[in-house]
Amino acid sequence: MYRFHYRLPFPFVSLCLGSIAVLAVAYIGLIAVVMSYAASTVEFAQSVRNDEASVASLESRYLAAVASITNTDYTAEGYAKPVAEAFVPSASMTALR
Amino acid sequence: MRAQFRTRIRLVLACIVFVALLILTRLYFIQIVHGQEYSQKADSQFASGGSGLFDRGSIYFTRKDGTLISAATLASGFLVAINPQTLADPEAAYMAIDAVASTTLAFDHAGFLAAAAKKSQVYIEVAHHLSDAAGQTLAAENIPGVEVLRERWRYYPGGSLAAQSIGIVSYGSGDVLSGQTGLEATYDETLSRSGNSLYKNFFAELFSNVGNLLVNAQDAREGDVVTTIEPEVETRLETDLAKITTTYSSQSSGGIIMDPSTGAIIALATYPTFDGNDLQNIDPQRLSNQLVEHVYEFGSIMKPITMASALSAGVITPQTTYNDTGCIIVDKARICNWNYKPYGVIPMQTIIEQSLNVGASWVAEQLGQTQFRAYFTKIFGQKTGIDLPNETDALIGNLFKPQQVYYDTAAFGEGIAVTPIQMIRALAAVANGGILVEPHLVSAIRLDSGIVRPLDWGEGTRVFSGTAARDTTVMMDALFDHTLDGGKAMIPTMSVAAKTGTAQLPTPTGTYYTNRFFHSEVAFFPSFNPRFIILLYTNDPKGVEYASKSLTPSLLDLTHFLIDYYAIPPDRGFATVTPSV
Repeated sequence: MYRFHYRLPFPFVSLCLGSIAVLAVAYIGLIAVVMSYAASTVEFAQSVRNDEASVASLESRYLAAVASITNTDYTAEGYAKPVAEAFVPSASMTALR
Repeated sequence: MRAQFRTRIRLVLACIVFVALLILTRLYFIQIVHGQEYSQKADSQFASGGSGLFDRGSIYFTRKDGTLISAATLASGFLVAINPQTLADPEAAYMAIDAVASTTLAFDHAGFLAAAAKKSQVYIEVAHHLSDAAGQTLAAENIPGVEVLRERWRYYPGGSLAAQSIGIVSYGSGDVLSGQTGLEATYDETLSRSGNSLYKNFFAELFSNVGNLLVNAQDAREGDVVTTIEPEVETRLETDLAKITTTYSSQSSGGIIMDPSTGAIIALATYPTFDGNDLQNIDPQRLSNQLVEHVYEFGSIMKPITMASALSAGVITPQTTYNDTGCIIVDKARICNWNYKPYGVIPMQTIIEQSLNVGASWVAEQLGQTQFRAYFTKIFGQKTGIDLPNETDALIGNLFKPQQVYYDTAAFGEGIAVTPIQMIRALAAVANGGILVEPHLVSAIRLDSGIVRPLDWGEGTRVFSGTAARDTTVMMDALFDHTLDGGKAMIPTMSVAAKTGTAQLPTPTGTYYTNRFFHSEVAFFPSFNPRFIILLYTNDPKGVEYASKSLTPSLLDLTHFLIDYYAIPPDRGFATVTPSV
C-alpha cells in the first residue's frame, strides 16, 4: 500500500515560528493604525469645533449688527420722518421694496 | 491490565469533572456574585475615557434665504486650575492668572489665597472661559501648580435672542449637563452627545457591536436642530416688545409671528427676557416660556373665533342682523359694549368692526351651549403639540356649566383663559380657511451622518368651513381698513385682517379689576392668502386703556417690516387698465 508522505522544505517548527512572527507584526501594526486613526480623529474633531467656535463669534457679530440696525433711532441721527407716504399701484413683485 | 486501564480512565474523568466543577464555581462567582463589578470593569476597559470635553449639537435659526445662523453652539477656550500641593508661589500665580483672566476669575485675591492654602486638595478650578490667546499666554508661563486646560461650553451667539424658546443647558438635578428649558430640553436626545465614539477599543467594537457597525443607532439619533425662527424678524419683534413694555410699564409683553398655513413659527418672544450666556444672573421666573406655559383671558380677539364658529354652524350668515341695546342682563350679570353705546339693528360685520360685547353674546346664544362648547373644546380643549416643554392646558371649565352668562362672556374672551400659542393657532384657523395647524419651531434635524431629516407636522384638522373663515376674514379686513387707528392704518396695496382685544385683569377673588387690563392684538396678511399672522399682547400696561393705542403702532411696524423684508407682492390696488404704450 502506497502512503503519500510530503516533506516540507523547512522544519515545521520554523514555519510555526514564522507565522507567529508575522501575526505579531500584523497585530502591532493594526494597533498602531488604530491609535493613529483615533488620534487623527480627535485632532480633526477638535479642529472642527474650534472652527465652529470661530464661526459662532462671527455669527454673534452679525446678530449684534442686526440688533444695532433695528434699534437705531433714525430721528436721533438727524433723519426726519416722511411727511406723507404714497403707495404706487403696481403688479410688480417688488413694488414695496 | 483492563482493570488498571479502567481505573486510570476513571481517575482522568474524576479530574476532568473536578476541574469542570471548579470552573463552574468560579464562573458562578464571576458572573453571578461579582457580575456587576466585572461588567463595570470591562466597560471601563472597552471605552476608556475620552477627552472629557463638553460636546453638544447646535440649534440654528434659518434666515429667509435659507442660511443657517447658530442660535446655540459651542465655544472653546481654556480653564485654569491650581494644585495647592505643588503651587509654590500663590501670590505670583494670582497675579499671572488675573492678568489674563480678570473677568472670568472665580475668586478675588483673598479667596484665591484661601483656595491655594487648601493643601489637602490637588485640583481647584479658578477661572473659566479664557480665550485661546489668553490660555496660551498663561500656559507659556509654565507656572508650577497652575494647569491650563482646554474646555468647551454652551454659547448663544444671539445672547437674549429667542432665549426663552431656545432654552438653556445646565446640570439641573443630575451631574450631567443637559437641556433644561426650551428647545434645548425638547430636543435634548438629539443634541446630547455620548462622547464615547473616538476611543473605543477597535477589536472590542468590531466583535461585540457588529450590528452597530452596520446600522448605527447613535448616528440616526444625534444631530443638529434647524428651527424656523428668522433672526432678523425675531430681533424686530423683540425690539417692539421691549418698546411696548417700557413705554407702558407693563408686567410683561409677548408676541408670535407664524405662517398660518403650516404652523411654522417665524418669531416668538416675551419681554423681559434673559441672556443664556449669563446664567449666573438669571431670574429663574424668566426661564419659563409664557407663550406656552401661562394662560390669559385674551378679551375681544376671541370674537372672530365666536363668529367663525357660528357662521360655520350655519346659525347666522354675514347678512344676519340683531338689535344691539348697548347692555344686556344675563343670569343677573350685566354685559355691556365697551362704550355702553346701543347700535340698534346692525349686521354681523359691525360686531367685529366695532368690537361689540353684546353682539358677541347674541351670537353665542344663537350658537347654543352645546355647539359653543363643541367648537371651543375642539379648538382649545387640547394642547397644541408645539415642540416646547411644559405646555399647559387652557382653562375652559366655565363652558361645562349650565349658566348662559359663562358662554356669553367666553364669546368675547372673558371667563376662559388660553395660552398665547393656543390663541394664535385658533386665529390662524380663521386665516387659513378653517384648518387647525400644529404650531412648531423646528423644521428639520441635521443628523451627524450628514442626512437632513425634515420633520412632518401633519396636515391639521378642519374646525371651520372655508366659507365661515372667509366671511370672518372679510369682517376683520374691514376693521383694519376702516376702524384701526381711525382708518389711517389701511395699506392701499395690501389687505390686512386685524382685531384688537382689551380684557380686564382678574383679581385673586375671582372678580375683575376696573383699571387694570390685558391688551392683545392680531393681524394676518394678505387677508385672503396670508403669509403671516402676528399676535401681540401686553400684560397690565399703565396709563393706557385700549390695545388699539398700546399695541397698534408695533403691530403696524411689524406688518410693514414683514411686507418689505419678504417682498410680499401687493394683493390689491393694481392698475385695472394697463396703460397703452
